[in-house]
Amino acid sequence: MRTPTLARHRRNVEITLGLLTIIVTVGGYVLVALAKNSTLPPDLYLLLAAVVGLYVLAHLTIRRFAPAADGTLLPLAALLNGIGFVTIARLDRNLARIQSVWVAVGVAAFIATLVLVRDSRMVERYRYTFALLGILCLLLPLVPGVGQQINGARLWVRFGALNFQPGEAAKVLLVIFFAAYLVDKRELLSSGSVRVAGMYFPALRHLGPLMLAWGFSIIVMVQEKDLGSSLLFFAVFSAMLYMATNRGVYLLGGLVLFVIGAVIAYHLFTHVQVRVTTWINPWPKARGEGYQITQSWFAFGTGGVAGTGLGLGSPDKIPNAATDFIFSAIGEELGLVGTMAIVLSYVLLVGSAFRVAVDSVRNFSKLFAAGLATIFGIQTLIIMGGVTRLIPLTGITLPFVSYGGSSLVANFVLLALLLRISHETVAGPPPPRVRA
Amino acid sequence: MSEGVLTVLKFCLLALVYLFLARVVWVVGLELRGTPVAADVPPEPAPSRSSRRRSYRLTIVEPASERGSAYVVDGELTIGRAGGCHITLSSDTFVSQVHARVFERDGDAYLEDLGSTNGTFLNGAQVTETTRLKRGDHVQIGETEFEVAR
Repeated sequence: MRTPTLARHRRNVEITLGLLTIIVTVGGYVLVALAKNSTLPPDLYLLLAAVVGLYVLAHLTIRRFAPAADGTLLPLAALLNGIGFVTIARLDRNLARIQSVWVAVGVAAFIATLVLVRDSRMVERYRYTFALLGILCLLLPLVPGVGQQINGARLWVRFGALNFQPGEAAKVLLVIFFAAYLVDKRELLSSGSVRVAGMYFPALRHLGPLMLAWGFSIIVMVQEKDLGSSLLFFAVFSAMLYMATNRGVYLLGGLVLFVIGAVIAYHLFTHVQVRVTTWINPWPKARGEGYQITQSWFAFGTGGVAGTGLGLGSPDKIPNAATDFIFSAIGEELGLVGTMAIVLSYVLLVGSAFRVAVDSVRNFSKLFAAGLATIFGIQTLIIMGGVTRLIPLTGITLPFVSYGGSSLVANFVLLALLLRISHETVAGPPPPRVRA
Repeated sequence: MSEGVLTVLKFCLLALVYLFLARVVWVVGLELRGTPVAADVPPEPAPSRSSRRRSYRLTIVEPASERGSAYVVDGELTIGRAGGCHITLSSDTFVSQVHARVFERDGDAYLEDLGSTNGTFLNGAQVTETTRLKRGDHVQIGETEFEVAR
């Protein structure tokens, strides 16, 4: 009878941590207004009501539908989301208005996922359906008429007034497929039956569907010029193969494939060459192609250790400050101290997600949760590394923080699935419908 | 508003963020060390002899080579080809990795098919939903047949 105590403890943690995130979010919002106009923001109570309302709704849903789930995941996501929203509101009030709608949609998707997915086995059962849906989502932007090209990347779909990136949904769907498929074929993939150069490799027919889905998603993304997402997919799937089989050869193979792919992409596409040259040395082209990345550096430099203060810097000089470069905007106004807090939040979020994976007893849940944790971790690494010039810049959103509806909704769904698995680990699968 | 006040407020905000992070680390630490959360809960009573004897058992009837092997349900038994199952039927290719499970709830035993490819059969009928087991029931999984006893 350990469950009720642990569940109660976890929900209490969620409440107290939630209180802190609400104070930080609303406090940040007030600080921006104070710095800009020396007055309290006119819509303070509206924001306060929205933040409290959404958090309480999400919390009550967990309390009702996944009471024993981990208590740190929601507050961490809420903190990141809150800091992101404050930064977006400080950069562009119109974007913030749209973002606030997306946050509400994201929380609605979170609630819907928790209510509808009562049993993670349900997700596992429809693996091929999800794979098909994922591939369709990836292909959708290439369809003439619906597909939209924005900033050189063709990954948008337009329905009426609504723009969204189906690739974000594909991310979730394909990870479900990979987890389910890998759990089934784990032994076949880890034992290996074909001997090449003294090492055993799995027969091609077991690897086939995997390579197909993998190669297909990468080709589509190269076609759509979405380098960030293709890098993310590649890394996540290599990692999942490794985690499922415990064979380092898959990591090595993934790395080799990645290097080959990168070299080919470099020679084929000018936009890849631009990313690499501005990574190695952006300064000769600081007014042209290297503008974004040098502005990002200036932002971090201006911020220094403690930052200029919210609303007191000029992060709006960085192009795409609300999406890809939001980390630089935070770096300018909150400095090293603020960015370290963001990095730590991600470390804890990914850590909690991996804890869900480690604690889980079912193979599918374990691999699925680990896959979701890897997505958060690698996506964060790619974009933070990109804007700080640690690795070549590839545009991708900073999970929960960046402006962008599709990404936010997808991440909230990921979060809900993690909570579902976490709850099941403690409380077991839902009681069976018994036939007497 | 003066810059000094704003700077102080900024540090207050950052301090709150770090307070939050410290609290998360503390909570995670508690859970990793395991016990404090559950410490106020009395440990589960050790199963007495009589309750153990009343627990359900699965006895193999077919194939003849395995006849007589018995497994105590004791909460839950998973049956499948995977090494991690309680009952591993590794040589039977008609058995899925994790094929079915038998579990106890409130003193009754239930049989549930876990989405197996070739199905689980109770007294010759395919099991489509979780079904309560009675003493003397026959459960067929792949080429193996169990009898339920208690």
